Parts: sequence; structure tokens; C-alpha cells
Amino acid sequence: MSTKSINTIVDRRDGKLAMAHFYVAFIALAIGGLAGLLQTLVRSGKYELPWGIGYYQVLTVHGVVLGLVLTTFFIMGFQLAAVSRTSGALTDKQRMTGWIGFWLMTIGTVMAAVMILLNEASVLYTFYAPLQAHALYYVGLTLVIVGSWIDGAALIMAYASWRKANPGKPSPLLTFMAIVNTLLWIVATIGVAATVLFQLLPWSLGLVERVDVLVSRTLFWYFGHPLVYFWLLPAYMAWYAIVPKIIGGKIFSDSLARMSFILFLLFSIPVGFHHQLMEPGIDPAWKFLQVILTFLVIIPSLMTAFSLFATFEMFGRSKGATGLFGWVKKLPWGDARFAVPFIGMLAFIPAGAGGVINASHQLNQVVHNTIWVTGHFHLTLATSVILTFFGISYWLVPHLTGRVLTKAMNKLAIIQAVIWAIGMTFMSGAMHAAGLLGAPRRSSFSTYGGSEQAAEWIPYQVAQAVGGSILFLGIILMLYIFINLAFFAPKGEQEFPVGEVADAAEKTPMVFENWKLWIGITVLLILFAYTIPFIDMIQNAPIGSKGYKFF
Amino acid sequence: MAQPGIGKKTNTKVEDQSSLKGTLASVFLLGFFLIITWVGVYFLFLDRF
Ligand code: HEM
Ligand SMILES: [Cu+2]
Repeated sequence: MSTKSINTIVDRRDGKLAMAHFYVAFIALAIGGLAGLLQTLVRSGKYELPWGIGYYQVLTVHGVVLGLVLTTFFIMGFQLAAVSRTSGALTDKQRMTGWIGFWLMTIGTVMAAVMILLNEASVLYTFYAPLQAHALYYVGLTLVIVGSWIDGAALIMAYASWRKANPGKPSPLLTFMAIVNTLLWIVATIGVAATVLFQLLPWSLGLVERVDVLVSRTLFWYFGHPLVYFWLLPAYMAWYAIVPKIIGGKIFSDSLARMSFILFLLFSIPVGFHHQLMEPGIDPAWKFLQVILTFLVIIPSLMTAFSLFATFEMFGRSKGATGLFGWVKKLPWGDARFAVPFIGMLAFIPAGAGGVINASHQLNQVVHNTIWVTGHFHLTLATSVILTFFGISYWLVPHLTGRVLTKAMNKLAIIQAVIWAIGMTFMSGAMHAAGLLGAPRRSSFSTYGGSEQAAEWIPYQVAQAVGGSILFLGIILMLYIFINLAFFAPKGEQEFPVGEVADAAEKTPMVFENWKLWIGITVLLILFAYTIPFIDMIQNAPIGSKGYKFF
Repeated sequence: MAQPGIGKKTNTKVEDQSSLKGTLASVFLLGFFLIITWVGVYFLFLDRF
């Protein structure tokens, strides 16, 4: 028997640690949401920013605060809570490690934020060279990453003590998933840490004059693609292992869920070139190879789709549903904990279709650097992932604060998600359409000298502003619900749902916990996909670029 | 007493509870959607380049 107690309630002290992460995440949502609204208004051509604030400064705030801060903090908080719930309370040492990680991340966030607000770092959240920010911006982002590693260390320590106490047993599914995502994050962030520490920081400090742009961008995208899976996998944790419990069904297959997570670990890293298809200096053969590896990620994605449909259908049929789609009606549409993530799942259908298009070299030529891409990741990240995170918050926040999600809040939560879906249909739909007509992303309003083509984009930009305004309303609602659940909702016990596996499912084999094997294959794939291209880039490097500050 | 219904064949097919045909249909629809959108942009590409 396990020596650690496995509770159905997250330990209060672990709950505080998770909540600390969530406070930062939701403050980020407020700031970033306002920035997003301003962007759509500016791009409509009907509004100008006051006090000489630049568009790209606002866009940097939006990208950093939502793409990097909100996501990382929410994910770390959620994973800490999930591990504590399924593998037992953290030890004092593990919890202390988590707090150190949290504070480092927070200090780093504040440093980066101050530099952006002082207009010393309007280089967007991707900080591509040769745009050059103040050194403290890079230091701040480095601290965020180092802090997240330390948070990750706390998770790995907790996992190791569970394994020690339960020899020969597969770890709890949610813990396993959190560990896969943590490993993915650690392997991925090595790339961005390398470009920041060895290239951008010395260069912004003036220690070296020039920077190799291609190497830096390649290291960034070595990190940038797994970054999107780092965002997505916590949503998958909820879809695979939590939503089945919420609807009263069973997990379709524990092994299938673990298998798909392992496949994401293997195939989400050696694929960064699919963001660099239009870039000179990389041999097309290697781009081709990485595109093939990218397409392999479709396999676990479709496995996920299948498994979710199956979970819902099995549940519906157990409730007496008949016909091809009768089970849809049996799902608990009035329960925000289900309905909100479900809207997120639906959004993933067009999101995934867009992703396959982006990754196809020829089609990438049609959409590259257009606002289509922005439309795409507002479906993946800003709808599928974010609505799932909201759906998680609706039970996790009251669970951690000893409160309950009331009927009124539940209803408001569903309204919130519907508003989000409507706003995003307008904004993202218009972005996709304008992108196909050639409208660029990351661009303030311009008529491009009265160009006819640019005039075609304007109605779509107005539609984006309409969508953006609706979305901003959604953000205000979400903040209201969060504050209610954190501070004002009635006291009580809100369940932390953890799914059980269907009786008919196969026993989980231990091979999934063989980290030497999985990390070994991950490293081999990375070496295979990147070694020769890197040697090429370095051997044939042009003279580097000086830094540019356009702000 | 005559038992109504006995001897009459019941016509209602009992559906197998473990049937996953809705799932099969759903993933097929999903697959078609992926193909249609992809081909759509592919024709845009052919048209432009
Ligand atoms: C009120 C809701 C939102 C609105 C109105 C909005 C609007 C926008 C717009 C207009 C852009 C592109 C501007 C351009 O390329 O010139 C943008 C970029 C972006 N958005 Fe949002 N967004 C919203 C919510 C979110 C959320 C919730 C996330 C993430 C969790 C997010 C992440 C991003 C990122 C990462 C970028 C890219 C920034 C860049 O290109 O540097 N957005 N957003
Ligand atoms: Cu990618």
C-alpha cells in the first residue's frame, strides 16, 4: 500500500500554491484582453491609440501577457493541483520548490512587463532578431522559464515519490500526463534558453555587435512549436481524464490516452521548420523531413478526436440513446464544467484543419504571415485551450478556495462561453478570410498608399473589431466569475473530478513509464531533424546583423 | 388466456449498447472536413502561383 494518502481533495497548502499561479494568470487575462480589444479597434481604421502609444507596444503586451504569462502560470498551477490530487499532497520540500518556481516566474514577468511598458521592448512575444530589446526584457523572460523549470522539478519530485511508494504500478493518469507535459516543456525550452543566453543577451548588452538571425530564429522555433503543445496538453488532460467523469461516463482507454501523450512528446519537437518554410538558408530536404514529422502529429490528434467521440457515445448509449447521433442529446449541456470545454473541442475542428493547411509547404505560401495565422491560433489557443482552462477554473478554483460553483455562476459561465464563441466566430472568421486575401498579420492600420487590394481588407477588419468587442465582454464576464469563485461564492465542497477507466479497457502496460526509452527516442529524433541543418547554417553563416530598435 | 404479443415477432431492433457507429460517422465527417478545407486552399494556391 501507498504510504502517502491519496485524497479526493487537494491539500490546502498545495491549493494556495496553485491559486497563486491562477491570480497571476487572470491578471494577465485582464491586461491582455484590453490590449486585444485595442488592437482590433486600431486595425479597423476607426480609432487611434492615445498619448502616442505605439501599436507594436500594445501587441507586445498582448502576446507576452496572454501567449506566455497566462498560459504558463495557469498550466503550472493546474498541473500542481492535478498531481497533488491524484498522487497525494506534496511534501514540504516539493511545495517549497513550487513556491520558489512561482516567485522566480513572477519576478521575471514583472521585469519583462516593466521593460515593455517603458517602451524598451516592443519586439513582440517572439522577440525575433534583429529586433533588439532592452537586456532586462530577455533576463525577465529567462527568469520566467527558469522558474517554470523549478515548478516542473516539484512535479517530477512528486511523481518520483509516488513511484517509489507504489513500485510496479502505472502512475495515476493525470499525474502521468502532467509529467509528459513537463518533460516536453523542459526539452523545448532548452532551445529558447540557448538563443537568449548565448545570442540575444550578450548582443543586447553590447558584448557582441552582431547576431546570427537564422540560428536565433531556428532555436526559437525549436521551442515555438512544442510551446503550442505545452498549451494544448493540459486541455487534453481535461478532455481525456476529467470531462468523462463530469458527464458521468468513463475514460475510453487509459492506454490510448498515454500513448497519444507519448506521441506528442516524440513528434512535437523536431518540427520547428514548419514555421520557417518561407525562410532562406534551410535546405528544402530538411524542411520536407520536418513536415513529414509534423504530419505524424495528426495521428495522436485524430486518436484524441476518436477517443472523445467514443467516450460521449458510450455514455449516451448507456443512458439509452439510439440512432447514429442520439447520444448527443444525452450530454449534460446545462453543466458549464462540460459545456464550456466542449465548445473548446468543437473549435479544435476548424483549428486543426487550419493547422494542416499551415504545415503544407505550398499552402503555407498562401497564408504565411497573413492574418489567417492569427485567426488560426485564436481558435487553437484563444478558444480551444482557453475555454478549456475556463472550464477547469469553474470547478478547480472553488475546490481550492473551499467554495462552490453556484447555479447562477454556472449559467453565467455558459453564457460566457457562448459569447466567446460568437465573438471568436466574427474575429477569427474575418481573420481567416482577410488572410486569404493577403492581409498581413502584425500590422497596424494602413491603406498602403491607397492600394486597391488593401481596401478589400477593411470590411474584414471592421468585422474583427466587432468580434473583438464581443470577446472583450466575454473577458469581463470571466473575470467576474473568477473573482466570485475565488473570494465570494458560498463556502462548501466542490468536487475535483477525476475520470475512471471503462471496465472493458485493457490493463495499462508499464512501458509508458519507461522514461529512458521515450526521452531517448525524443533526443534521437531531435538530433536527426536538426543536426545537419544546424551545421549548414553555422558553416555558411553570413555576417550577423546589428540590432534594430524601431520603437 | 391469450397472451397478446406472444408469438408475434417484435420488429424493434435492439441496438447494441456498445455500438460506436456514431463515433465512426463523426470521425469520417471530421476527415472530410479536413480534406475539403485543404483542397479549397490548394486550389487558391494553384490559382495564384
Ligand atoms: C479579447 C480577446 C482577444 C482579442 C480581441 C484579440 C485580438 C488579437 C489581435 C487583433 C491580434 C493580432 C494583431 C496583429 O497581428 O496585428 C492578436 C494577436 C495575438 N493574440 Fe489575441 N486576442 C484576444 C484574446 C487572446 C487570447 C485569450 C490569447 C491567448 C491566450 C491571445 C493570444 C494572442 C497572441 C499570442 C497573438 C500574437 C501576437 C503577435 O503576433 O505578436 N489572444 N490578438
Ligand atoms: Cu507549429
